[in-house]
Amino acid sequence: MIKFQNLTKIYNTQAGKIVALSNVNLEIGKGELVSVVGKSGAGKSTLVKIFTREEKPSKGGIFFNDINICELKGKKLQEMRRKIGVVHQDYKLLCDKNVEENLCYIMQVVGVGDKAIAKDVKKVLEIVGIENRVCHFPHELSGGEKQRLAIARALIHRPEIIIADEPTGNLDVYNSYEVISLFKKINEMGTTILLLTHDKEAVDYLQKRVITLDQGKIIGDDKKGRFIL
Amino acid sequence: MFTSFKRILKFGWQGFWRNKTLSLQVIFIMGVVVFAISFIFLFEQIGNFLITQSEEKVDISVYFKKDATEEAMLNLKQELLTLTDQVKSVDYISKKEANEIFIEKHKDDKFYMEALDQVQEDPFLASLNIKAFSSDKYAFIDEFLKAKEPEGIIEKVSYSKNKEVINQLFYITSNVKKAGFVGGIGIALLVILITFNTIKLTIISIKDEITTSRLVGASSWFIRGPFLVQSILYAIASVIIFDAIFAGCVIFLNDKMQTLFLDFNLVSVLKSNGAYLLLAQIACTIFLGSISSFLASRKYLKM
Repeated sequence: MIKFQNLTKIYNTQAGKIVALSNVNLEIGKGELVSVVGKSGAGKSTLVKIFTREEKPSKGGIFFNDINICELKGKKLQEMRRKIGVVHQDYKLLCDKNVEENLCYIMQVVGVGDKAIAKDVKKVLEIVGIENRVCHFPHELSGGEKQRLAIARALIHRPEIIIADEPTGNLDVYNSYEVISLFKKINEMGTTILLLTHDKEAVDYLQKRVITLDQGKIIGDDKKGRFIL
Repeated sequence: MFTSFKRILKFGWQGFWRNKTLSLQVIFIMGVVVFAISFIFLFEQIGNFLITQSEEKVDISVYFKKDATEEAMLNLKQELLTLTDQVKSVDYISKKEANEIFIEKHKDDKFYMEALDQVQEDPFLASLNIKAFSSDKYAFIDEFLKAKEPEGIIEKVSYSKNKEVINQLFYITSNVKKAGFVGGIGIALLVILITFNTIKLTIISIKDEITTSRLVGASSWFIRGPFLVQSILYAIASVIIFDAIFAGCVIFLNDKMQTLFLDFNLVSVLKSNGAYLLLAQIACTIFLGSISSFLASRKYLKM
């Protein structure tokens, strides 16, 4: 389903070249839940940014259903983005829209009708457990609620894959457990999940495939879910 | 398609209504555009009125010799009327009419009336009063009349006497027009810059939202559309608010302006040209707002 092929990203800075990713080769199958772990600066966020095409790789590509994401432009790129659900580390919620409108927006972008949207929004809000926050704006939500909203937004349009960048990074232990349980539940419903985290407890709890990144290189790919850092 | 259009309208309205402080700031800046257009219009109208009034007061007269036949004088009038680019009107005044005009003008002045009685011979000459379309045309008309002098019917032409005044008027009117044009361009540039920068700042304040919308797959028009709707709403609101203020000022100042500018009636000018002014204000503000938001958002849509 997803194939990272010789993926390399080098940043040219005034201080010199920084290699964020170096020849990353990886395959993820449909319905898998894969955790990508690594210390800060290992290249996890760069991986997400290239996947969402916020950035372009220096070399190599990411193939999603045999289409190289890195070569897409304009309308085709936007169509591809609609097939992916992303939970960003900083949530990236729409501040001037309330919880319901944040969720509706994604469906509206895809072109779903109003009745179908209303039905799905209700269902997804129940799944993530913020159905009592429908009319609240992002600044009125707690960190955990924002994270749940971000997950709901990534989930609502039934994407083929959800990428979550440090989804427990800003949460307390209780909320982290809730969020990771949620991802497990979503994965059990058939959605492929790529979880980028440095939360050892979360990875241990999931007991799923773990890929370890260090200084932009894959140093481990453990099917039994062991965190080897 | 219709659903997307409806959603774009809704998002535009939400953006306008929910960010009230920002909307008020933009409406205020667009109000400057409305005022600038009104000011340029007012300046042009007053300028044209004063120029026309001054030019109306200027003419040149051709006085005929006593023995000139009426046929010859009327022939010259017809020839003058063929100068369609220069001559606006030609009035023939016979000796008798000149006499009547003099009496009418000085009927209450004993000195003039007694002097007229004492003159044995009829002192008045038949003449043509010529009005040109603008003050710069008189020199051409004077040249034309000079060429007619050898025919022997012209006693004198008043142009040389009025030449200096006419030239002065021509100098003033052409400079007023130039100043108006340059001033208008200056104000327009200033207004364009202010509007563009205000809209740009508005877009910058929501750049994260634009980026997020882009990352979830929204098309450029799905993101830009609401900004265009907002620009239209800003434009309409600013025209309504600032035209109401402008109308209040006009009603309050109309009498004073009539006294100051030779009976210039702004209310009646606005009654006949108000629709065009309103149309120009709406078109300019919508155009400026839309283009500004289109250009300002382009950078963040490249993602």
